[in-house]
Amino acid sequence: MAPIIEIQNYSWRYSYAKMPALNGINLIIEEGAFVGIIGPNGSGKTTLAYSLDGLIPSQYRGIKQGAVNILGREVEAYPAGALQKLVGVVFSDPEAQFTAMTVEDELVFGMENLGLSVPEIRERLEWVTELAELGHLLEKPPYEISGGQKQRVALAAVLAMTPRVMILDEPTSMLDPVSRKRVFDVLVRLKEEQRNTIIVIEHNLENLASLADRMILLSNGELLLEDETHAFFEKMDLLLENGIHPPGAMLFIHRLMQEGYYASRLPLTVDEAAACLTEVVARLKPPGPASSRG
Amino acid sequence: MNAERPFIRVVNVSYRYPDGTEALSGINLDIYQGEFMAFVGQNGSGKTTLSKCLNGLFNPTSGDVIVDGLNSKTTSISQMVRRVGYVFQNPDHQLFNSNCWDEIAYGPRNIELPEPEVKTRVAEAARVVGLPETYFGEHPFFLPKGMRQRVAIASILALQPKVIIVDEPTTGQDARQSLEIMDFLADLNQAQGHTVIIITHDMPIVARYARRVVAMGSGRILADGPTAEVFSQPETLAETFIEPPHITQLAQRCRSLGFDPGTLTVEDMLRQFKELVA
Amino acid sequence: MNKTLLGYVPEQSPIYAVHPFVKLFFLLVVSLFPMFIASPEWNLALMLFILGLMWLSRVDMRVLRIYVPMVISMGSVIFLSYTVLGGVHPEFGLAARIAGVNIYWERIRDASVVYARILPMIFTMVFFLSTSRERDVIVAMRSVRIPFVVTYVFAMALRAAGMVLEDFQIVRQAEQARGFDTAGKSIPYRIRKYVMYMIPLFALSLRRSEEFANALLARGYAFTGEASRVKRADYVLTHYSFRPADLLLTAAIGLAFAALLVLRFGFGYFELERSWFIAWLKTALD
Repeated sequence: MAPIIEIQNYSWRYSYAKMPALNGINLIIEEGAFVGIIGPNGSGKTTLAYSLDGLIPSQYRGIKQGAVNILGREVEAYPAGALQKLVGVVFSDPEAQFTAMTVEDELVFGMENLGLSVPEIRERLEWVTELAELGHLLEKPPYEISGGQKQRVALAAVLAMTPRVMILDEPTSMLDPVSRKRVFDVLVRLKEEQRNTIIVIEHNLENLASLADRMILLSNGELLLEDETHAFFEKMDLLLENGIHPPGAMLFIHRLMQEGYYASRLPLTVDEAAACLTEVVARLKPPGPASSRG
Repeated sequence: MNAERPFIRVVNVSYRYPDGTEALSGINLDIYQGEFMAFVGQNGSGKTTLSKCLNGLFNPTSGDVIVDGLNSKTTSISQMVRRVGYVFQNPDHQLFNSNCWDEIAYGPRNIELPEPEVKTRVAEAARVVGLPETYFGEHPFFLPKGMRQRVAIASILALQPKVIIVDEPTTGQDARQSLEIMDFLADLNQAQGHTVIIITHDMPIVARYARRVVAMGSGRILADGPTAEVFSQPETLAETFIEPPHITQLAQRCRSLGFDPGTLTVEDMLRQFKELVA
Repeated sequence: MNKTLLGYVPEQSPIYAVHPFVKLFFLLVVSLFPMFIASPEWNLALMLFILGLMWLSRVDMRVLRIYVPMVISMGSVIFLSYTVLGGVHPEFGLAARIAGVNIYWERIRDASVVYARILPMIFTMVFFLSTSRERDVIVAMRSVRIPFVVTYVFAMALRAAGMVLEDFQIVRQAEQARGFDTAGKSIPYRIRKYVMYMIPLFALSLRRSEEFANALLARGYAFTGEASRVKRADYVLTHYSFRPADLLLTAAIGLAFAALLVLRFGFGYFELERSWFIAWLKTALD
């Protein structure tokens, strides 16, 4: 597929900072890809997300070098409001994103901004409501729903605008594990059913690793690693050095690989890891009297 | 677990909100000095409500909370907070003085300690959280998030409570920051003898630091015991909608191979593996 | 009862079948009635009528308890300022002398009239707030074609107010957790200390407002330029239809107002000279 995002030698320094938040970033993202971006706090992930949506440089003061191109055009070249039709962003704070007084009004807000007609709105509303499982929440005001539910509303509201690129900036960092899982369930469905390009910035890798096609590591404003997911996680030492904590099961299998017990593809989920482990143990365990332990 | 009397006793506590919802029902819990505990459970399970009953912010609608021999219902809040400190999740909800020094001094001043005592406590608390003196005159609002959290913790430590409850210490933090704050809490627990209770969703952190886990759901305690034990009960955990840490899940999935379903760390798993294939 | 940001509203109520515009119209027009009614008994009757409407709308009358302190303090302020602080006209009749201060009949009379006017106005507003969910208020405004920006700012203000209220609870608890205890302290102390609460609320709002603005932009809302002039579908209005019953109610309210004006200016109703209450009050104080 054709590249939809092209970043060339991009640097950004906030006017109040001494060091650039992003330094010399070169990145190409193909349309339809599901990309995960990880890195320690302060590495520039949010800055990168905002740069893709045009929030930087329009809302923030600083110095830009290099280019950020969406669909072949620089972000600054888009007239006000036009880029947001192409690139949608879901932020990390569920409270600060909910601007209306009921869930339905929130979902509809973006569509109204686009100037869609009532029938079009109705159709898209039904679609995102079903996708994000919000049917029973439509009439509720924000103070009656949980943080996780608010994030699903935010996701659906942005999705309803059918952007070609969806960026989610730490969408689950303020949520409990159940809500987190439900948000990722929506992303799974999105990946299967739609052809949006999806970029997810996260700390929590357990859910992300199995979904992303490609992963990016940012640290101190620099892009240290960008690769297909399995290959990415195989560079475990680089990840650990940069403060990333891979999921326990993955780390364990990696240790097995390091010590020579296993030499195949790195598993990304618990199930895959269990299968690996079973196979390794079967291969290596000394044959003996049938050990029916468990 | 000490054989001495518990520092906090929760006896048959129930809590009902003014609008009628029951947040806690029939809670019984003993907390001893020197414990490192985690309260886990889904949002709405009652873990925050229970914690707030422990330091007197909430009074149970029935039952008693006895802290250091004092009943929370008949004890003033300033007496309670000297014994049980509560650090809120978002430091911004707590910080409002114009400089860090006054911020940390706020608690001791509230309980009307003499000023020399206040000075000593502030210096001590700042040292323990690793807040450099250069920050003393800074406005908390402008500090980075990690520093703000430390100032918030210091402001509670200055009250020198024996028990410190921290709400979501690692949410929104990256891996390194999470470990820093948890190592610090572990040090408070081991070296200084504080009882530490964390309310959290971060299971790997619980596995690594907490020695006892109280899992809650729908206002009840569903499991209460040593960490490995609680994590190895998948049925109970399912009720609380908690998933054990990744490595524990792997161990449980491979139970039939001989792995301990209560495995908490990668190192432990590795050790078991080597024993198995030796 | 459901709690909204504006008060408490009943879960079910016949009033929800009425289009929000009618409720807004009622609020605006009926609030004007007391301006043309001088005699207290009519104003008090109007207040009772409004209370009756509230009861019919299944509003839980216990919400009125919230307003009692305000009503009492307002009454006290009015009476005090009129009687003690009001001026003296040589023709005023002395009604009483308390603690060395002259209390004049005309002042008492005027205070009663003003108070009786304010009461139905307050309760018309209470009626509106007790029967409108936030969405109803917004729909009412949109249906009278108030510019979108205004209604949206109002909605955001409501939302922000809601968040501030939530934050306030947490801040209060956080302060208590640091030993802050107002039990047994004086009022000035409490007031001074409550000012402290503002600071974290302010800090939180500041941090949120940046995210809020980003969220608005991310949803394609443009404050200026071509994108801001897009024709909005106003989807929320599709849930409400203006029915014949609504038209009738609106007309009824309008006619009532017209009738009021005719009676007042054409026939001299509602004037002080004809008021039984004032007459009774005068004889009671003489």
